[in-house]
Amino acid sequence: MSTSIYINSKNVFLDTVSSKDYVQLDRVSTIYQSLKDSIKKPLKMILLYGKPGTGKSMFLTKLFNDLSSSQIVYLYQTPILDESEFYKTLAQDIFSTKYNGELNFTQFMKIVENSDIGSIPVVLLDEAQLYSDVLMEKIRLISDTRTIKFVITLHKTEKEDLVAKEHFQTRIWETIELENASSTELKIYIQKKLMKANCFDSANMFTAKSVHRIHKLTNGNYRDTNKLLYALFDIYSIYDDNNQLSTIGTTQVPIKLIEMSAIHTGLINA
Amino acid sequence: MLNTRELESRWLKYKIKSYIPHTIITLSSVIIIAVISVFFTFDEENQTPLIAVNKTIEPKPKQGIAIEITKETQENKTKTTNEALSYKEPTPQKAIATDKNSLTLTPSLGFIKNMQHSNIPYYTHESPKQEKKILTQEPVEEVQDLTVRESNQGIQKEAQEEVQKITINRRNIVDDIQHIIKRFKKNNNPALSLFVAKKYYELGDYHKAYNYALITNQINSEIDASWIVFAKSLVKLNEKNMAIKTLKEYIKSSHSSSAQILLDEIVSGKFK
Repeated sequence: MSTSIYINSKNVFLDTVSSKDYVQLDRVSTIYQSLKDSIKKPLKMILLYGKPGTGKSMFLTKLFNDLSSSQIVYLYQTPILDESEFYKTLAQDIFSTKYNGELNFTQFMKIVENSDIGSIPVVLLDEAQLYSDVLMEKIRLISDTRTIKFVITLHKTEKEDLVAKEHFQTRIWETIELENASSTELKIYIQKKLMKANCFDSANMFTAKSVHRIHKLTNGNYRDTNKLLYALFDIYSIYDDNNQLSTIGTTQVPIKLIEMSAIHTGLINA
Repeated sequence: MLNTRELESRWLKYKIKSYIPHTIITLSSVIIIAVISVFFTFDEENQTPLIAVNKTIEPKPKQGIAIEITKETQENKTKTTNEALSYKEPTPQKAIATDKNSLTLTPSLGFIKNMQHSNIPYYTHESPKQEKKILTQEPVEEVQDLTVRESNQGIQKEAQEEVQKITINRRNIVDDIQHIIKRFKKNNNPALSLFVAKKYYELGDYHKAYNYALITNQINSEIDASWIVFAKSLVKLNEKNMAIKTLKEYIKSSHSSSAQILLDEIVSGKFK
């Protein structure tokens, strides 16, 4: 096994949000399909929620890439926190109306009412928990006009649950929860991710035992797993550089190395 | 770039830390198991002799031992056999005492020898439980010997040797009595004084037998055998009336059947 393979394997687990990195897992695929189906329904809002690192942003990116060819869809990964800026961005992107100066809710609603864009556009809002309560209320009112469909993602915390209940309980027609991976799913995730990058040898190094240890450390959280495996292959490449690979073995990932990576990434407090 | 050496040392510390609770749990459980096992072993050791006592208290095995000793001693044809037999010779008084699980269970001087070397707890005739404890060691050996003899002929030789040892001890009966008197002075055990009284009676020293029986009665006035030796000694010392009077008084308070039998024998003249 050459050094480049370890570096390649390391790069596979870089924490990026790209639809190319999306890994098909049975449960995740089912959820994704139900989300796609929900988009087709005449729903006002779809809420996608889950703990950080469960793949919400990845889901939204994947959805954007898949839908953009067939319908009007806009993805806002970074929240637009200023209210006027939010309306202006939507007016420009959806209705092609460039507005100079301040744009308030009433003015934006007039633009929405006078618009004639045919099909209902889908707006994907990531990290919606960062929007203010006032703006979220306005988004709800816009969705009530049925001229724009919103898919929003929220981190699942106690506060955010409250937000979801108070503002959207009666309007959200579909709520989809994303959860951490199980041990089996995590093994498939790791191996599929590595095999996508042609790192077959690295993929074969992960036994059920080693994946179980990883799962125990990360609780199946994709982001934590990516961080851990990035550190793991980083350590591997260093051992390889120092010609010390024989001391740790290359046939399977030793628990020692996983724990060292966890210490490095802060998953183990040592 | 990662410092793998530092990471390894941190990992080692983490491993040691993570094993500490496991080690503590394992060690503590091992200690607990050890303590429990020691406790139960100790308990079993304490219980075993009690089982043996139940067996030896029965008069039958006792007679069996006497027969065994007799057979062996006849084969050996030593002078001491007569002594052994004479010691085991059942007098009416002893037979009655045996039925009551009294001191007549003390089988030989060999037993006394064992008593000298072991710290057997003090016992009285008042408390049968304590009496059982004292009787445990010697009878256990005897019962074991019996069973072994029945099953294995080879072991009989060893048993014979043991019997021979017992007879050798009996040659020094006066020394033994002196030793027991010493022990009696130390612990004031009525069982010892009664034994001395009996031995003196057997040796024909009725005056000393009378004295020791009297001492025994003073310590514990409820021992049948002591009163019997006392009365018999009085008869031998030509104090028949005194013996009758004493026995009558004793029978009044104790209703002892063995004392009544002796009284009848003295009165009728059977016992002289």
